Amino acid sequence: MDDVLIVITLLLVAASATAAVAVRDPVRQALVLSLLGLTLAALFTVLQAPDVALSQLAVGTALTPLLLTLAVRKVHRRPHTRDDGRGGETTGSTESAGAIESAAAKERGE
Amino acid sequence: MNGWLAAAAALLACGVGPTLWGVATGPVRRRVVAQNTATLLVCLATLLLAQGYDRSSYVDVALVLAVLGPAGTLVYARLLAEDLKAAPPTGRAGTWAAVALTPLVVVPLCVAAGPGRAALKLLAIGALLVAGNMVAARALRGAGRTDCEGAGPAEAARG
Repeated sequence: MDDVLIVITLLLVAASATAAVAVRDPVRQALVLSLLGLTLAALFTVLQAPDVALSQLAVGTALTPLLLTLAVRKVHRRPHTRDDGRGGETTGSTESAGAIESAAAKERGE
Repeated sequence: MNGWLAAAAALLACGVGPTLWGVATGPVRRRVVAQNTATLLVCLATLLLAQGYDRSSYVDVALVLAVLGPAGTLVYARLLAEDLKAAPPTGRAGTWAAVALTPLVVVPLCVAAGPGRAALKLLAIGALLVAGNMVAARALRGAGRTDCEGAGPAEAARG
C-alpha cells in the first residue's frame, strides 16, 4: 500500500511537471509551478522526508511563483516607465533600460 | 497498511488530480481557485499521512502549508488583479465543498489522537485552513473591485 501512495504521488508530480512545461504563458506557468511544489512536498512526505517537504513547500509553493509573477509584472511595466520621458532611448533593448536605471540610481546617490 | 493511508491516497488521487486539470487549463480565474483548493487538499492529505505513519511531527508540514497556502493565494489575488478584474471568479461550489471536507478529515483525526495537545494542534490547523480559504476565496472574488479603486493613486505615486 505504501507503493500505491508512492505511485500516486509520482504520477501527480509527473503530470504537473508536464503541465508546467506545456503551459506557455509565464503567469499561468507560475500557478502550475506552485502546484508542482505542492505535489513534490506530498511526495517527500510519502517518502518519509518531512524536512525536505517543509523546505520544498516554502521554496516551491511560495517563493518561486512569487518571483516569477513579480518578474513578469516588472517586464510588462517597463515600456511605460521608458515612455515617461527618460530620454531618447529608442533601441528597445532591456540592457539599455537597465543602464538608464543604474545611471538614475547613481545620480540619486550623488 | 491502515485506513488513514488509504484515505490519503484517495484524497490525493481524486482531489489533487482534478485540481491539476483545473490549474493546467481554462481561464486564469479558474486556475487560481483550483490552486487554492489544491493547497487545502494537500494539507488534509498530509494530516492523514501523519496519522497513518503514526509520526506526529509530520503535522508540522500541514501547519506550514495551512499558513502558506492562503497567503500565496492572497499574493496571486494582488498580482493577477488585472486578469481577475476582467473576469472575477464566479462559482463557489468547489470552495465550499473543499471547506466542508476539512471537518470531515480533522474531526476523526482528533478523535484518533485523543484529548490533549495533539488534538488542539489539529483543531487549530483545521480552523486555520477554513478561515484561510474563506479569506482567500473572498479576496479572489473582490480582487477586481478593490484593485480598481486602489490602483489609480498607487500607479500615479509610482510614476
